[in-house]
Amino acid sequence: MTRRRRNLIHKMAVYIGALIVFLIMAFPLYNLFLTSVQRESDVRSPDISFIPEYIMLDHYQTVLSPGHIVPIREAMANSLLVSTLTALITMLLAVPATYALTRMRLRGRNYILLGLASIYLLPTILFVFPLFIQAVRVGLVDTYVGLLIPYVAFTLPFTIIILRAFLQGIPVEIEEAARIDGCNQFQLFFRIVLPLMKPGILAGLLVIFILSWIEFLTPLLFTRDIQILTVVLGLYRSTYDIHLGQMAAAAIIASLPVVLLITVFQRLITRVVVSGGGGE
Amino acid sequence: MHPETRVALALVAPTLIAVVGLFLYPLGLTLVFSFGRVDLATFSVAEFVGFSNYMRIIRDPSFQAIALRTVYFGAFISLATTIIAFLFSLLLNQAFWGRGIVRVAVIVPWAVPSVVAGILWGQMFNAQHGFINGLIRVLGGEGGTIWLGEPMLALHAIIIAETWRGLPLATLVLLAGLQMLPSSVYEAADVDGATAWQKFRHVTIPLMWPLLLPLLILQFVFAMKSFDIIFVLTGGGPRMGTTTLNYYVYQRGLEAFRFGDAAAAAYILTILMLLVIGALAFVRWRQGLREGEAPE
Repeated sequence: MTRRRRNLIHKMAVYIGALIVFLIMAFPLYNLFLTSVQRESDVRSPDISFIPEYIMLDHYQTVLSPGHIVPIREAMANSLLVSTLTALITMLLAVPATYALTRMRLRGRNYILLGLASIYLLPTILFVFPLFIQAVRVGLVDTYVGLLIPYVAFTLPFTIIILRAFLQGIPVEIEEAARIDGCNQFQLFFRIVLPLMKPGILAGLLVIFILSWIEFLTPLLFTRDIQILTVVLGLYRSTYDIHLGQMAAAAIIASLPVVLLITVFQRLITRVVVSGGGGE
Repeated sequence: MHPETRVALALVAPTLIAVVGLFLYPLGLTLVFSFGRVDLATFSVAEFVGFSNYMRIIRDPSFQAIALRTVYFGAFISLATTIIAFLFSLLLNQAFWGRGIVRVAVIVPWAVPSVVAGILWGQMFNAQHGFINGLIRVLGGEGGTIWLGEPMLALHAIIIAETWRGLPLATLVLLAGLQMLPSSVYEAADVDGATAWQKFRHVTIPLMWPLLLPLLILQFVFAMKSFDIIFVLTGGGPRMGTTTLNYYVYQRGLEAFRFGDAAAAAYILTILMLLVIGALAFVRWRQGLREGEAPE
């Protein structure tokens, strides 16, 4: 076999493989999209046309209109508020803790890190009953604070793990040089370390935002009231509704913000998350 | 105390308080619950019953089925995800036109809310108008399978959905690993006249192994924690066929309000997870010894 022919076969194999990968990952999403733009009667018909003959946006209009069974606009606003606050609070706690646990003189810091990593791996169900009971006792069920506390708690260990991996990638010599030049601890942190950590912090904020947006178990347990419904939970409640097209449209609207974020920031997010080894 | 230590402690303190209050305290209370009968009016332990919660659950034949199913579920998902992600990452490591689009398609399911994933896989597996039966019909099959109506089929439907959700991260982790492999090793293999398969078998796999095993463990952990998809897609049914341990804990606790049983089951789940993780870590350690690595 000549070299050229072998290259051609290799190239064809790569393109066929790429097509298969694309179809496996995108086909289910395409199903959802198609459901959201077809008439209900066509959605329920067993004669599926994989290529649509028309595109109809009525379901989106219905779902977004006021008074719909899923209050999607209010729920989106709630999710936006809770996710943004979670990202900010978690980061405010995580950045100083990460710096202390990575760079500062602190005995037993490795044990703390090990503890954080194990917490991240343990099943959430191990913690939630006492938290739920406590929330009922203190009256935090159906409040924003009652949502924020578990959200921050559940994202904090993972955030510290990925920030630490990022900080370790920054040469410590920069800080040593600054120290020799007469920087005190305070200046060192704010003038040198924080600017260097900016990409890591930005990626961390985005990841926490996404994880909070898609969180399901926490709002399921800690909210009953429709007033502070998050969009994901609202969507679940709408599965009692039988309009498949509307449900698909609502599902797409609810996913859009986070899907856009991950598409735009994919390189930054993957670089930082991959170094920390996961995220659910 | 060194002044720097004092500052460090102050910086870590809020995190430590959060960890103790929101993880260690609940962890301990769940442990206490698991040895007691919980009074629902006061949410406190009415009496201590020793190991009887554990014994009652373990002796229950339906629980044994659940535990076995959970391990099967976790093993299947972690193996499938790791192997398929490895193939995906090998492909994405090649240069080809349109790679950016395929990369986005691979990463997007990570950010799709699990409820949305549940809804869309529910539609995919729908017996009448689902795409999967539709595809089977297009390919000439009968396409009338009621995927979510039969326990074994439903379990595997959930395995497929969870694998789809796990693939983005696993693929990206492995892709990052592939991109860090030193090209000099491959050049040396080329000089020795190695074929593509030989390079894959004797260079890529051994170099990637230190990444594949931890990934397998991580995927197993995620699968053991699976909840949302089961909740939305099947609710643990039909005939409890998709109830895994984690889901069982939820049902016992927040549907049956048997907190003592739920707490005991949660600890059994944790012990089961630790056993499997320990076994896999042991394999890794033995292998390290054989290859002459210094043990950590």
